[in-house]
Amino acid sequence: MSKLYARIFTIADYEEEEDWLRQQNQNGLKIVKFTAPCFYTFEECEPQDVIYRLDYREDADTDEYRRMASDFGWEYFGQFLGWLYFRKPAADADVNGEDELFSDNASRAEMAESILRTRFVPVALIFFVCVLPNLYNAVSGRMGLLSGFFGAFFGIMLGIYIYLIIHCGRKLKEIRDRYRN
Amino acid sequence: MNERIRRIYVPMTESGFYILFCLQEPQHGYGIGLRVKKLTGGEVTIGAGTMYGTLSKMEKDGLIRFFAEEDKRRLYLITDAGREVLEAELKRIERLYKNSRGECTDE
Repeated sequence: MSKLYARIFTIADYEEEEDWLRQQNQNGLKIVKFTAPCFYTFEECEPQDVIYRLDYREDADTDEYRRMASDFGWEYFGQFLGWLYFRKPAADADVNGEDELFSDNASRAEMAESILRTRFVPVALIFFVCVLPNLYNAVSGRMGLLSGFFGAFFGIMLGIYIYLIIHCGRKLKEIRDRYRN
Repeated sequence: MNERIRRIYVPMTESGFYILFCLQEPQHGYGIGLRVKKLTGGEVTIGAGTMYGTLSKMEKDGLIRFFAEEDKRRLYLITDAGREVLEAELKRIERLYKNSRGECTDE
């Protein structure tokens, strides 16, 4: 029987997402499908310790990478907006370093840096250059009877947006600097 | 060797060094992984993501080139530019080794 979960992980929460998918598998739920923006379809299975790993590649030749990853014992099971999902039974990864896609800090920092550069910066820029001024115009302009409603709606959206920008920006920088020499 | 390449690759990361070193012969990512494990007695392992990322970066920077495809695996080989980087790195490592044993580097 399949189960649908809704859970939001931002672009900075990939380590938490890996842990969560692993816990689900230990509890007998194996992910079969990811649906945008935040729906995970699981299938019941024998509880098993499976390591989940995400990689972010903006321009990956996924055929080559998938082939290489499978040589290294990783099962590729999906892709979403540049995110590549891999898993491997923990029992196959008992030798040192084989439970991770990245074996050194330089490449771990590079992944965080690449998310910052290609995902975070453009979104933050669009927000400050386009969304913010238009929002201001809309709210301060004449919207008649609906202006109260729009004001509240935009206010909430603004709050969410600002929270996401601060949360993701700080966390990605924190991950990058943790691994950077 | 141009300044940008020198800045990025000298000194190299340990995995970067082993990958370039192994590519003096045509090899694919997984083959490099096995060879490094053997060379270092299992002390150095290179993850799939680190391997793929390093290979694509080195190919883009002209240190290695595509050699052939075998059973859907891409084989790479070091280029002249790559050899230059490897030579510089080997020299540096030799100096470190000599100095660590109390020997001075010859003028």
